[in-house]
Amino acid sequence: MHINYWGEIKRDSLGRAGMGTLVVLALLAIGAPIVSQYQPAEYTGAIFQPPSSQYWLGTNDVGQDIWAQLLYGARTSLLIGSGAALLSTFFSVLAGGMAAVLGGFGDRVLMRAVDALIAVPPVIVAILAAAYFRPGASMLIILLSAFLWPGGARLIRSQALSVKERMHIAAARTFGSSWPYLIRRHIIPDLGPVLTAILVLNFRRAVFMEAGLSFLGVADPTVISWGKMMQQALKFSYLEVWKWWLLPAGAALSMTIAALTFTGFALEKAINPRLKK
Amino acid sequence: MINRGYCINYLLALMVILTLNFMLPRLMPGDPLQAIYGDEAMIAMTPELKEELISRYSLDLTQAGQFRAYIGSLLRGDLGYSYYYNVPVAAVLLGSFPWTALLVGLALCISTGLGLFLGIESGYRRGRTVDRLLLGGFMWISGLPDFFVGMLLLLIFGVTLGLVPLAGAVTPYTGQGWAPALIDGLRHLALPLASLVLARLTATYLLARNTMITTMGEPFIMTARSKGCSGPAVRYRHAGRNSLLPVVTAAGLQLSHLITGALFVEIVFSYPGMGALMYNALLTRDYPLLQGILLLSAVTVLTVNLLVDLLYKRIDPRVAYAH
Repeated sequence: MHINYWGEIKRDSLGRAGMGTLVVLALLAIGAPIVSQYQPAEYTGAIFQPPSSQYWLGTNDVGQDIWAQLLYGARTSLLIGSGAALLSTFFSVLAGGMAAVLGGFGDRVLMRAVDALIAVPPVIVAILAAAYFRPGASMLIILLSAFLWPGGARLIRSQALSVKERMHIAAARTFGSSWPYLIRRHIIPDLGPVLTAILVLNFRRAVFMEAGLSFLGVADPTVISWGKMMQQALKFSYLEVWKWWLLPAGAALSMTIAALTFTGFALEKAINPRLKK
Repeated sequence: MINRGYCINYLLALMVILTLNFMLPRLMPGDPLQAIYGDEAMIAMTPELKEELISRYSLDLTQAGQFRAYIGSLLRGDLGYSYYYNVPVAAVLLGSFPWTALLVGLALCISTGLGLFLGIESGYRRGRTVDRLLLGGFMWISGLPDFFVGMLLLLIFGVTLGLVPLAGAVTPYTGQGWAPALIDGLRHLALPLASLVLARLTATYLLARNTMITTMGEPFIMTARSKGCSGPAVRYRHAGRNSLLPVVTAAGLQLSHLITGALFVEIVFSYPGMGALMYNALLTRDYPLLQGILLLSAVTVLTVNLLVDLLYKRIDPRVAYAH
């Protein structure tokens, strides 16, 4: 199955909206030092300032510029989200692909482990692990991936099993190609649509979990994150500041998650034509 | 015979969680006791107390012996001792579990019922204005994380409009009869419940709607119509029934989301359930309590999922044949 991903997303209005939002967010995150005149941790000189031309979204309880924090928070969300998506999908491919190729006893053992891990509620265990490790960005990516990969492994296994039986794979095998070669050249490209869907799904879950963990305050406290902004802002709900402190952070997080959902829907439609009608 | 596969999966999952619970404090650099109780507590601890805790946690045994002791004490219902509350963890949990159970149970029932109803109605009217509005609206809501939904509701209805109390589950020291107390409890419950339901409704709605759309194309619907069945009869007795199956399965799977969602929503509303307790345990670094909360949540999720797996076969006999 070979799909023009970009074309599929462009054809779907929701997909266009989702992809567009993601691109804008990524550009803002990359260009954060240009778009904002302050550093996120910098003390700007006044606390609880309302939005003005100097502080676009005002300042928080310790006088940091909220707009700058919002931009650098986008960096954290997108970095951890994409990192965890890539790493967990890699784990899924490794486990699912191996189960499909090995078959028999190895398959059964691997899938039993995957089934057991799927049953483990990921957020709960992630909170527990994070409470001990207080993970920084890279540690958090590993931690999230460790709990995100099993769902994808199951999907990849079932797809790989059907791909394995296809004609061109059998043809390649008769020409004497090895399994590593087959996996690299034929199976993984054929799995493309499923892989993309899993990537987007895991991206979304990782962004959500990162925000949740930093909202609880179990992530590294020096990392600027939307979840942490919301946690801090909630303490001052009796003041007016929530309008430009809590709402933008929450809206940015919701927008990111919605954008990923829409992109995912568009891709799913491309993979599963029955949904198109 | 059929159930064995399911049970083994859940037992394995339980073992994974227990092992993590056991390993995490021991993986930390330094003394496990330090990891369990935190640095501050270690300074305040007398040598006698330390001795007692070491033997209490069997830290003088080998790793395997420690694990056996850990499992053994769990089986006796001993979840450890909360350093902050100065009572056994099990006692603290017992006080807050009912609140979470109330919140999650009601949210599950309401979101399943409402989602099923809206999904069936919306799928039946596919492509019309009502369907489009519902679908569009739910797509947007689904992007909102549950704790943000909670904050929005809190800020709109609690802070700005002042319609409902801002925190807690009951107003203390009212001393009224049961009727005002019930209303008071419901007023406190309304917002946390609404945020959980809103955050979870989309999944049920979409599932019911999708199944409904597929079912509406089946020949037996045309038969029902040609028999002269009324609209509601076709919708619920013939087509809607088919949505029940995926929705019930999803309800079980959602429970894990609901429980984690409740942990977050309770923090926003300071609702005295396990979520607020967890937040407090995180702030005070009360690790035994934290472990107890997360263990109890995880075990609840596993048990319910197992029950759903078993119930699923009762609703859909095809599954039993398939195994």
